[in-house]
Amino acid sequence: MKSAKRILAFMLSAALMVGAFAGCSGKQSSSSGGTASASSAKSTGAIKNFTAFFAVPLSGADTKDTSEVKQKLAELTGAQVKETWLTGQTCDEAIGMMIAGGQYPDFLDGSNATPQLLQAGAFVNLDDYIGKYPNIQKYFTPLQWAQLRQAEGGHIYYIPQFSATYGEPNETIHNDEAFWIQTRVLKWANYPKITTMDQYFDLIERYLKANPKMANGTPNIGYTILCDDWRYFCLENAPEFLDGYPNDGSVIVDPKQQKVIDYNTTPTAKLYFKKLNEEYKKGIVDPESFTQKYDQYISKLSTGRVLGMIDQYWDFEYSIVPAFNTQKLDQQGCDYVPLPITIKDGIKNQWHTKDGSVLNVSSGIGITTSCKDVDGAMQFLNDLLSQEALALRNWGIEGRDYSVGPDGLFTRSDEQDNNCNNLTYQAAHLCPYSYFPTFTGRLPDGKNSVMPNRQPSLFEKTLKQDVKECFAAYGAKNYVDMLGNNDKPGDWYPMYTYSSSLNTSTPAGLAWTKMAECKHKWLPQVCMAKDFESEWNNYMTAYNACKPQDFISAMQTELENRIKFAQENK
Amino acid sequence: MNANAIRGSKRRMSWKAWCKQAKEQKSLLVLSVLFFAYGFIFCYLPLVGWLIGFQDYRPRDGILGSKFVGLQVFQTLFEDPEFWLTVRNTLAMSLLNLVFSTIFAILFAVLLNEVRCMIGKKFVQTVSYLPHFLSWIVACNILFDTLGSTGIVNELLMKMHVITAPLNFFSYPQGFWWIVAIAVVWKETGWNAIIYLAAITSIDPNLYEAAAIDGGGRWVKMRYITLPGIANTIIILLILNVGNVLNSGFEVQYLMGNDVIRDFSQTIDIYVLKWGISQSNYAIGTAAGIFRSAVSIVLILITNAIAKRTSDTRLF
Repeated sequence: MKSAKRILAFMLSAALMVGAFAGCSGKQSSSSGGTASASSAKSTGAIKNFTAFFAVPLSGADTKDTSEVKQKLAELTGAQVKETWLTGQTCDEAIGMMIAGGQYPDFLDGSNATPQLLQAGAFVNLDDYIGKYPNIQKYFTPLQWAQLRQAEGGHIYYIPQFSATYGEPNETIHNDEAFWIQTRVLKWANYPKITTMDQYFDLIERYLKANPKMANGTPNIGYTILCDDWRYFCLENAPEFLDGYPNDGSVIVDPKQQKVIDYNTTPTAKLYFKKLNEEYKKGIVDPESFTQKYDQYISKLSTGRVLGMIDQYWDFEYSIVPAFNTQKLDQQGCDYVPLPITIKDGIKNQWHTKDGSVLNVSSGIGITTSCKDVDGAMQFLNDLLSQEALALRNWGIEGRDYSVGPDGLFTRSDEQDNNCNNLTYQAAHLCPYSYFPTFTGRLPDGKNSVMPNRQPSLFEKTLKQDVKECFAAYGAKNYVDMLGNNDKPGDWYPMYTYSSSLNTSTPAGLAWTKMAECKHKWLPQVCMAKDFESEWNNYMTAYNACKPQDFISAMQTELENRIKFAQENK
Repeated sequence: MNANAIRGSKRRMSWKAWCKQAKEQKSLLVLSVLFFAYGFIFCYLPLVGWLIGFQDYRPRDGILGSKFVGLQVFQTLFEDPEFWLTVRNTLAMSLLNLVFSTIFAILFAVLLNEVRCMIGKKFVQTVSYLPHFLSWIVACNILFDTLGSTGIVNELLMKMHVITAPLNFFSYPQGFWWIVAIAVVWKETGWNAIIYLAAITSIDPNLYEAAAIDGGGRWVKMRYITLPGIANTIIILLILNVGNVLNSGFEVQYLMGNDVIRDFSQTIDIYVLKWGISQSNYAIGTAAGIFRSAVSIVLILITNAIAKRTSDTRLF
C-alpha cells in the first residue's frame, strides 16, 4: 500500500517534470516533424508544407487553410504555405526576437529588418538555385540580378517580390504618398486648380469656415498628421516632393549634378513646417495630430470628417473602405483624391513614378537556413509565377470569380466583384499569397492585368461616383492622371533601399538612426511651437549634433557606386 | 524520531545521518527538485546570457564566438544621455505607482472592511478588481477614449465650463507620469487590496471587542487595531515592490507614449527594446538589463536594512 503510494507520487512528479520540459522539446519535434512530412511528400507525391513569416502587417484577409484557391494552388504546385504576419510588434522587434531565438520559418521577408537577418546569416545563398528555375531566372533582367547581388553583399539571399513588371505598365492607382483631399472640398469650390501648398490649405480653410460640420453634425477636421512610430513619413518627408523630386526616400538626388541633398534642411523644408505651424495655430491642423496612434487615425478617417492629409494610399485606403461603404460616405463626397502639389508654381511634381521603375533591393522573400527542402521551396516560388498560378492568386477560380470574354479578357460581374472585395469571402475562398513574387503590369498572357483593379473595365466599375465626377472635372481617367506619370530619374533610384540597409554599427547608420530620433522628437515641437523661428533654430542645432554629414556622404558614395555599377553592367 | 532529525539538522551532520535523513524525506526531496529545476532553468540559466553585455556580440558567432570587450558596452551605455532619461522616467513612474497604489490599496481594504452589508461588500470588491483582468492594450484604449478630445473627461469639463476647448491630455510631457499613475491605481487597486483584506481577517476579533468595551469607535479601531495589525504585511510587500521599482513599466508607456512626450514616457524597458532588439545591438540591451538588476538588488538590500532597523519585520 505504502509503496504503491510512493510509486504514484514518483510518477506524478515525473509527469510534472516532462510537462516542465515540454517547452523546449516541443519546438524541436515540430520542426523535425515539418521536415519529415516535406521529405516524405517528395517520395509519395503528397503536398509539401512550408511556413512563412512576413514582417509586415497583414493587409486584406487572412487566408484559411480550407480555401479552394489555396487547395488548387497546392495541386498545381505540389506545396502549400502557412503564412503568418506581423501583429502587435514592429518588424525590428519581431525579427530581433527571431534572430535571438535562432529558429526561422521556411520563407521569410524581414522588411526593414532584412539587414539584421543578413548579418545573422539567416538566409540560404540562392546563387546556384536561380539558374535551375526558369520562371525565377527570367523574373529579373541580368542587370537587375547584378544590382541585387551587389546590394546583398555579393550573393542573392532574397528576391524582391514587387519589383518585376511584365508587359505594358497599366497602373491606375497612385499607391504612394501624396497630399490627399476629399472630393467634396474640391466640388464645393467647383474643382479649382490646386498646385501649391498655400492653395491647398487656403481651400481647406475656406471650406471649413463654410462647412464646419458634416451632415450628421460631426465637426470636420481640416488636416491631420499621422506621426506614430515608423509611419511618421506622413510628417517628415514631404519636403523632397515639394521640391519636385521623386521618392528617393531618405535624401534628394539632384539628377543633373548627381549630388545628394539633405531634404531636412532645405529652405523648402523650413517653409513646409512653418506652414504647418501656422495652420496648427489657426486650428486647421488637428490638435491631436502628434499624439494620435495609427488606430485612432484610421478611426478618425473612417468617420469621413478629415478633409485632407499626407499619407501613402496603401496606408489608409484599404483600412477605411469598409467603414466608408457601410456609411455610404461616397455620397457625401468623402473619398480621397491626390493633388499635384509643390512648394511653388512652376515646379514639376514627381509624386508618382512609373511602375517597375523601383527595384527594391533592400528586402524581399528569402529561404532560411531552417528550411530543410530548399529545392522544394524554390520550385514553389517558380511555380507560383506561371500564368495559371498567377491567375488563381489574383483573380480566383474561372467561372466562379471571373469569366473570360471571347477576346481573352477577364471580366467580373458585379456580384463576383462584390464577393472578391469582401474580406470574409477572400479568407474563405481566395488565396493571393500576396508576399510571394508577383508581377505588376500584366499576366504572362500579355493581355490581362495581374491585379483586377487595374483591368480598365473593372477599375471604372469600382470607382465611386464622387471620385468619377472629380476625375472627369480634371480630365483624368484615374488616380495617376491626377498627378502625372514620371519615368525613374536614373539607375540609382530609389536611394532608400540603401539607407534602410544601414545599421548602427557604421557612422553613417548611427547618424541615420540619430537623425530619425531627433526628428521624431523635434518635428512635433516645431509644428506646435509658439515661436516658430526660435524652435526651428533649436531643432537645427539638435539635428546638426547628430552628424548628418556622415550619413549624407555615405549616400553620396553609394550614389556614385550605383551609377558606375549600372554603366559597367549595361 | 522526527524531532530528533530536526534537532540533528541544526548541528553539523555526519554523512551517514544526512543520508538517513534524505531517505526519510525522499518524497519531499523529489517534489522540491521540481521547484529547484524550475528556478535553475528559468532564473539562473538565462544569466549566462549576461556574458553578451561584455562582448562585441554578433548573432552569427554566438556567445562563445564573440569577442570580449570588457566594460566598453557599459561605458557607451552610461555616456548616452537618453539612457539616463529613461532611468529617470522609470524611477519617477515606478515611485509614483508604488506610493499611490500602496496607499489606495490599504485605504480601500480598510474602508471595505468596515462595510457591514455583505452583499454590498462582495459586489464592490468584485467590481473593483475586474479591471485587473483587462490586458493593458484594452485598458490603454479605454484611457485613450476617456481622455480623447471627444471623451467623457473633456465633455464633463466643458459642460462644467472649466475649459472652453477640449484638452489634449497626451500632449503635456509632465502630465504623462500622472496619467500612468492614475491608470495603474484604477486597474490594480482592487486586486492589490485583496492581500490586505486577507491580512485584516486574521486580526483577532477579541481586540475589536475589547476596544468596543473600552468605548473605541470605528476610527479608533481602524487606527489602533486594523492598521497595526496589517503593518507587517505592508512592510513585506513594500520591500518586495521596491525591488521591482526598475522592473515595472513597459506596456503602458509603450502603448500610450508618443513623439511629443517621448522624453518623459520612455522607460528602461523601451530603451532595451529600441536599441537592443530593434537595432540588433544585443550587447547594449543586455548591459541595460544588467544595470537594472544590479540597482534592484541594491534597492532591496537598502529597504530591508531600513525595515530591520525601524521595526522587527524584514525579508531576510
